Amino acid sequence: MKVEDVKVCILIIEGTNCEAETSQAFRRSGASAEIVHLKQLLGQDTKPEETRKLEDYEILVIPGGFSSGDYVRAGAILAARMKSRMEDELVQFIDEGKPVLGICNGFQILVELGVLPGIESTMSRYPTASLGWNDSGRFECRPTLLENWNKGKCIFTTKLERGQIIQAPTAHAEGKFMLPKHREKELLDTLKDNDQIVFRYVDAEGQIAGYPWNPNGSLFGIAGICNSEGNVFGMMPHPERTYLGIQQADWTRNVPDNGDGKAVFESVLDHVTKKF
Amino acid sequence: MEEFSSEIRFVSLLDASDDDMVLLSDEGGLALDLAEMKRVQEYYRGKGREPTDVELQSIGQAWSEHCCYKSSKVFLKEYLMSIDTPSVILRGDAGVVDFDEDHAYALRIESHNHPSAVEPYGGAATGIGGIIRDVLCMGAQPVALIDPLHFGPLDFPHDKLPKGVKHPRYLFEGVVAGIRDYGNRIGIPTVSGSVHFHDGYLGNCIINVGCVGIAKKKNILKNAVKTDSDVFILVGGRTGRDGIHGVTYASVELTEDMEEEWMGGAVQLGDPITKEPLIHTCLEAAERGLLNGMKDLGGGGLSCVVGEMALAGGFGAEVNLEKVPLKEEGLQPWEMWISESQERMMLAVAPEKVDDVLHLFKLYDVLATPIGRVIKDRIVRVLYEGKKILELDLDFYTAGPEYCREYTHDTRYLEEPEAIPDEPEDYSKTILKLISSPNIASKAWVIHQYDHEVRGATVVKPLQGKMGYACHGDAAVIKPLEHTFRGLAVATATNPTFSEIDPFRGGMSAVDEVCRNIAAVGGFPDSLTNCLNFGNPEKPDRLGLFRETVRGIGHVASHLGLPLPSGNVSFYNETEHGHVPPTPVVLGVGKVPDVRRCITSDLKEQDNPIFLIGDTKNEMGGSEYLRVFGGHSGTVPNVNVGMLKKSLHAVFRAVNEQTIASCHDISHGGIAIAISEMALGGDVGAFIDLSKTERVPTSVKMFSESNTRWLAEVWRGKEDRFLDIVSDVPVRKLGMVKGSSVIIADSNVKAGIFLEDLSEAWKRTIYDYMGGTP
Repeated sequence: MKVEDVKVCILIIEGTNCEAETSQAFRRSGASAEIVHLKQLLGQDTKPEETRKLEDYEILVIPGGFSSGDYVRAGAILAARMKSRMEDELVQFIDEGKPVLGICNGFQILVELGVLPGIESTMSRYPTASLGWNDSGRFECRPTLLENWNKGKCIFTTKLERGQIIQAPTAHAEGKFMLPKHREKELLDTLKDNDQIVFRYVDAEGQIAGYPWNPNGSLFGIAGICNSEGNVFGMMPHPERTYLGIQQADWTRNVPDNGDGKAVFESVLDHVTKKF
Repeated sequence: MEEFSSEIRFVSLLDASDDDMVLLSDEGGLALDLAEMKRVQEYYRGKGREPTDVELQSIGQAWSEHCCYKSSKVFLKEYLMSIDTPSVILRGDAGVVDFDEDHAYALRIESHNHPSAVEPYGGAATGIGGIIRDVLCMGAQPVALIDPLHFGPLDFPHDKLPKGVKHPRYLFEGVVAGIRDYGNRIGIPTVSGSVHFHDGYLGNCIINVGCVGIAKKKNILKNAVKTDSDVFILVGGRTGRDGIHGVTYASVELTEDMEEEWMGGAVQLGDPITKEPLIHTCLEAAERGLLNGMKDLGGGGLSCVVGEMALAGGFGAEVNLEKVPLKEEGLQPWEMWISESQERMMLAVAPEKVDDVLHLFKLYDVLATPIGRVIKDRIVRVLYEGKKILELDLDFYTAGPEYCREYTHDTRYLEEPEAIPDEPEDYSKTILKLISSPNIASKAWVIHQYDHEVRGATVVKPLQGKMGYACHGDAAVIKPLEHTFRGLAVATATNPTFSEIDPFRGGMSAVDEVCRNIAAVGGFPDSLTNCLNFGNPEKPDRLGLFRETVRGIGHVASHLGLPLPSGNVSFYNETEHGHVPPTPVVLGVGKVPDVRRCITSDLKEQDNPIFLIGDTKNEMGGSEYLRVFGGHSGTVPNVNVGMLKKSLHAVFRAVNEQTIASCHDISHGGIAIAISEMALGGDVGAFIDLSKTERVPTSVKMFSESNTRWLAEVWRGKEDRFLDIVSDVPVRKLGMVKGSSVIIADSNVKAGIFLEDLSEAWKRTIYDYMGGTP
């Protein structure tokens, strides 16, 4: 299909706050992005012309923000609402191989939903990973460098070379990727074997490093992972905030033609236009 | 004509004596003085009836210093509001100024001092909430938040803390957390600000919050009703007992035992997750053309918003108070009427559009309730369950008093002998000490806690430089619209140590600094707004400081043709231990023709020449150097407005013609600190030689904070062009980007510091007090 026919659902509820720049990123790459409130997908308080169906979209995106205030736990409330009201639609969407992207709060929601890491099934009954409080105990907004660690499974990073380093800022308090202690090694090995690790935090020399290069203390420096099929992807840093060269932290020192984050959007659109 | 409710309480005022009236004002928390009470008495004698308790509360709100600027208006009119330019589109809750053919930007700054001194987290959070609404109600999308903060010294000994005063570290931690948790949640980036520490803020911190927004011109709304059939729709949060008497308490001095009263309800409770969809939904309603007018509920709550919107439209209003959605049962009608509960907006909507508005808000899960309507008569009438509880003539109600209170101006500072410390033995140590002083040291601890990039439009960020080394910049730049590379440069400035010595020059310097910050990144100053934080205006010396400050700001702003389409005054910032130093906070917005030509403060390339623009004078009064090393001078930096104007044009052009690689304004700590910060951000050294500059002592050359100065790193090969552009302002080549240390030489002395040592001294200070790793 043509890129302008690719319909992207940018899902929001109260507290979502990165929907404008995220839909802008898809629009800049030529796709047709629409901001859709969860109630429009559920048909609550909507007029017929306002009701939407998930199946009508090619890509689902859960943007950053503080859905429902991140009270209880980051992402927990929206995940619970989605799981209770639209689990079947979502599982079907993923099983059809359609891409799902979660950025920051969206990543937290995908983990809470159990679609990430998504090792054994499309959606696990309980979360099998967690994005916990940053080691610093504080919200951290800072530019970070990410190494593409994926060998080709993830459909969101095909435009990047393996080992390529990109810049994207983080802005979160709960972004420390963790696995259950008693299964940590086993699950991490599985993620590696399945090629599910996508981005890792590195320093200016491209080496895995501690704080502040790794802003939250994530296990194995993990900044983003995909499911075992490669079509569901979540990352804590914000690629939509480095779509343009002039959004990068140090652009006045070295102006790139494009921002590094653009590759994420171009990769998935390339995949969709070829596949569907 | 409805009868007054039989359950309403009438207050005996007609025959009250002077003493009775003073008591009445105190007990009711009205904060009205005797003369004002007499005016009220006269009004009711004319009406031939007693006032209801709701009416008296309403008048107390409407006539508070906070709401009607009764002590300041006379000076604001004379010096600030008189500056007018065709670019100003609207002066409302926020000022609205031309951006491009189809768009305008909105700006405003205000204080949340007293609530933050009592409950720092909630006080600061609701400060953000309030300033966002001021911009939103003009029909503008908020795009940037700016937070200048002022506290007592972080190392103040706990055992010397006056009773009832909270420690500066606790206040600092709480205020930053409040701004963080509210600002980050609603998704508006906090891009700029300042943190200043000074003994004078010990009992009364100064917390100012600014906001800039962008609007399509067709969506700009007045804070007014439009027709005599408009319906008032209250949207957003529910109304509760929080925030009762906020404005009247803000209009008196802070006392120890007032804390309990504040905690009992005067500080509002913020709810960013009601606010976030409220912003979207109000803007979408404006975009769809559903609104006739909009205004936020801030100080005074419903009692202020209804009257002001009706009066501004030339009509009156009738409100059915029982329709107001409540947080809890049992509120008295007067409490509903004046509550300052957060996250509420008032919409004026044409009757045929009410259903569309209600549906839109329901879809986004935001509460919306029609609570009243416009009436032709210029009165405000409030009904509760069908019975009248308030009826006031709008002209009386909203015509708050205006005073020309007595003021004095103390010029003794001019006679005080100068006490300048001896020249340092080791200038390197002096620089290290200065750069680690809390007022100059890294504010990364604060900046990283704020999301300064949400919306993806922050092109020039608050920390600038090589990754891992970024240092303070001068201004942030926002690219607010997708279709254009035009930008808005945003900066803020205040210098209380100047102002406490010489308020006139302090006011002038704040405008100078904010303008040079904007020019340094490649913007041209376009408009200003200010928040003027002072002590009790009923004390003539405090009011004298205020008048001198306003005169200083006005003097520079009018010469530059910079309008101040909005502003805020915060008086009564004092306790029994004294008043805060005069704190005029100026927020400036500049236009950037093309954000791709913006520059930052970090040094870029070895061997590029470094120039000083502007003259360094022996003006050490109020300098960080004297504050840290002791001493006194009455000579605060002056402003030559003609030179400032020429220099702004020159720097703006030199940046936009891309002759400058990096630029930094010279302020706290002088040239020595400016070059150090530039080197830190670029992770590269510099050598500068001051021996050919003015004939003043080395300490003055290095640390003077004279206005209208910048350091500029010029691209090799573009020197001639640069010199050509800046030919009519003083400019001198000082040295070049070189090596891995900062070296500053004068005739017989030299300072030389390795970047690592400089970095360590600069970045640790605040973290050492507040915890965490830089």
